[in-house]
Amino acid sequence: MSRSDHDATATGREERQATGGLLTAPLTASSAVHQIDDRTGSRRPLLSRSAGLLVASAVAVCVMVTVTHLVLLFLYVAPTNTISTQYEQQINAWIYPYFEQNWRLFAPDPQSAQQQVSARTARTAPDGSTQVSDWVDLTAVDDAAIKHDPFPSHTSQNMLRRAWSAYLESHGDSDTSHSERARMLQEYLLNIAAQRLAARGDRTFDAVQLRVITTSIGPAPAQVSGTRPAQTPSNTRYLPWWQVRSRDH
Amino acid sequence: MITDRTSHAEARHDGQPSIAPYPAQSRPDPVTRAFVFLTERAVSLHAAALLRIGYGLLYLTFLLREFPHRDEIWGPDSPWTPDLARELSHQNGWFSLLTLSDDRAYFEACYILALLTSTVFMLGWHTRVASVLFALVVTSFHGRAVFMTDGGDNLIVLMAIYLTFTACGRRWSLDALRRRLRESAPGRPGPESTDPRSGPSWQQAKMLRSQLTALVHNCGMFVIAAQVCILYGAAGLYKVQGGMWRDGTALHYVLNLDLFQPWPTLSHLADAHDLLIAIAGYVTVLVQVAFPFALFSRLKYVLLGLLIGMHAGIAVLLGLPVFSGAMIVADAVFLPDHALLRFACVGRRAIQRHLTARERRDLPRPRTVTEPPRTP
Repeated sequence: MSRSDHDATATGREERQATGGLLTAPLTASSAVHQIDDRTGSRRPLLSRSAGLLVASAVAVCVMVTVTHLVLLFLYVAPTNTISTQYEQQINAWIYPYFEQNWRLFAPDPQSAQQQVSARTARTAPDGSTQVSDWVDLTAVDDAAIKHDPFPSHTSQNMLRRAWSAYLESHGDSDTSHSERARMLQEYLLNIAAQRLAARGDRTFDAVQLRVITTSIGPAPAQVSGTRPAQTPSNTRYLPWWQVRSRDH
Repeated sequence: MITDRTSHAEARHDGQPSIAPYPAQSRPDPVTRAFVFLTERAVSLHAAALLRIGYGLLYLTFLLREFPHRDEIWGPDSPWTPDLARELSHQNGWFSLLTLSDDRAYFEACYILALLTSTVFMLGWHTRVASVLFALVVTSFHGRAVFMTDGGDNLIVLMAIYLTFTACGRRWSLDALRRRLRESAPGRPGPESTDPRSGPSWQQAKMLRSQLTALVHNCGMFVIAAQVCILYGAAGLYKVQGGMWRDGTALHYVLNLDLFQPWPTLSHLADAHDLLIAIAGYVTVLVQVAFPFALFSRLKYVLLGLLIGMHAGIAVLLGLPVFSGAMIVADAVFLPDHALLRFACVGRRAIQRHLTARERRDLPRPRTVTEPPRTP
């Protein structure tokens, strides 16, 4: 920016100062003394030419970065459209990893079903026979921990819930991990189950199996003509037996 | 926030042309005015301070809440093992202090660092350094356990990063207190003394620094405000697309999720009122969509009130205090400084009244400080 720009900056400053203490506590170096000086007409030192140039280029850079950030952020957050598809690479390069965000909070539709995750263990005895434990309802433990707690822990509210939804997202209906991420999430889910079972005292198992029962939440009473259905539909998914490494428990 | 101050400043400027050093018709062009506005003074310093205190306190509370579960979430024994976290960091480029070592003592040291950093940041002591450390801590903890986070944690990360650019320690902080004490201390050389600090090059450096600080701060605050608008706008637009929000039953499903039901009786009580559920659902969507457009009018106070009420409801009914707290603190960015100062003034007066009342009770006989100390 030119000399005139920077002069204008300086005069602009005086203008603001001169209009008095109308702006509550400016950040600039203006103490009360300076303000009185300005009122009586004495001039404050101007920024030197090089400093003025520096400020001008800083303004240009900051404004550009701010605008770029907000435009790309908007395109990233907004529903997929032609622009965001075309510039997907640039958008992702700017956003990931630190500005990643998702505001689909209970939207477009809130979950209309809930998952209940249970786990059981198997142990192979030296004689070759296999002992299988009863199912342990891991979700029920979380639910119980949340009940009557005004500040539930992330371990009850988010850990298993998000591990399962991430597993579902990466695996779909298959239980084979086709990507690195899918394998990592499978390991995570297994570790959660193994740790929780081990914490209950069951420490000598070789394999873990998970069972996920999905129950849909019935419609609101007003929507149902007559009485509410006694049983809401549910389906059960059995995951394969997963071998446990010794350090897991 | 920003709009309020501009209009205020300009209104006053127009109203007092006689004091201005030059006639009003030679007012600079809009580009110059924007330039001056950006570099001249840091806007919304009290709102920035409120964000700092809010997020510092929120993260401190969160860390203390999860203290018994710290190992399970972020520690070496977490089901999301350090190896998994490192692998993910390698894939997505997220840096975390916590994956640097698997040593338990190192982890505990990081936890203590996080507690201290949040406290120091909240109090505003050496705020710029503290804010960078806070952002480092928050991103480190977030990146270590990313599959255990929710929208609230996500917002805290974003705000911690943005706040490093702001001058959030200028008000309501230990830094501000220290500056005030230093300025009022007697015997200090004034700016006109022969101190080398009053030389022209020092003045230049000081001015340059204050202009750059103001510039970066203003951009940071603008980004924070825009981020909150994008958040609410997107949340609203996604909800409009959902059939359950349209037919007014969305909240029925939300209230029936076991993991978001700390008070089942309360949830069922609310769920029993279909009309209430439908109205609350519609108001939620309308407020979120309208929010970015209402900021330029006084309507914003109504919407802010509704949003704060909505989030307070979420905190209690759905058991999401961190999420709700993060949202409520974010809303503070839209409160103009004069409103915040008025709140603070009312609060301070109430505290003072309370303290004087207690002092009177505690000390029935007045004592004077000039009384000589009694020596045996």
